[in-house]
Amino acid sequence: MKNRLEEIRKQQGVTQEELAEALEVSRQTISSLENGRYNPSIILAFKIARYFHRSIEEIFIYEDSQNGKEEY
Amino acid sequence: MAKKNISLNIWLAVLGIALLAAGGLGMKLDWFGEIRGLPGVLIGVGAGVFGANLGVILQAKTVERDPAAARRIEIEQRDERNQAINNIAKSRAFDAMVYIYAAAMLVCVLINVDVAAILILVAAYLLVHGIMLYEMVKLTREM
Repeated sequence: MKNRLEEIRKQQGVTQEELAEALEVSRQTISSLENGRYNPSIILAFKIARYFHRSIEEIFIYEDSQNGKEEY
Repeated sequence: MAKKNISLNIWLAVLGIALLAAGGLGMKLDWFGEIRGLPGVLIGVGAGVFGANLGVILQAKTVERDPAAARRIEIEQRDERNQAINNIAKSRAFDAMVYIYAAAMLVCVLINVDVAAILILVAAYLLVHGIMLYEMVKLTREM
């Protein structure tokens, strides 16, 4: 799953630390989300969408996994 | 992070030291006579109880002194990625353990270890799988 989290966060002038603090997750989680190494739970995805006043689909882009790589 | 009541942990840490001391002295002064394994058990249990509770006490003291650090610890503990990492690591360790247990049982048979010891290993192996099946049935009903 791809996402536009980094782009939207930077557009709004929010640092990873501030976003992590607001969502009550670690900064590493935000970093991993932005790098596409970790997919959020549906609850965290909703929290992120609410924080930026966007829909989940505007931030997270679902695509079928094609390379067979394990996703978390 | 809510302030934790650590009085029970302090008592348990003291109990741990007492067990440790009783085990050490018992071994030195031969208090337990025929029950030769008891001092070793007391030392092991005492060290475990003391260590576990000392950890809780030290963490509570750190939290008291530095609320910002306490919040960071709380976030790290509740962080969903950390929890996912923890669960995946445990799951992989369990998969490895199945083979390690099987190999250990085989080695015990090959080196003619006492049947009772092998049966304990087999029972532990089966118990672990029984727990896994129980959890699977329970989770299937709940989820």
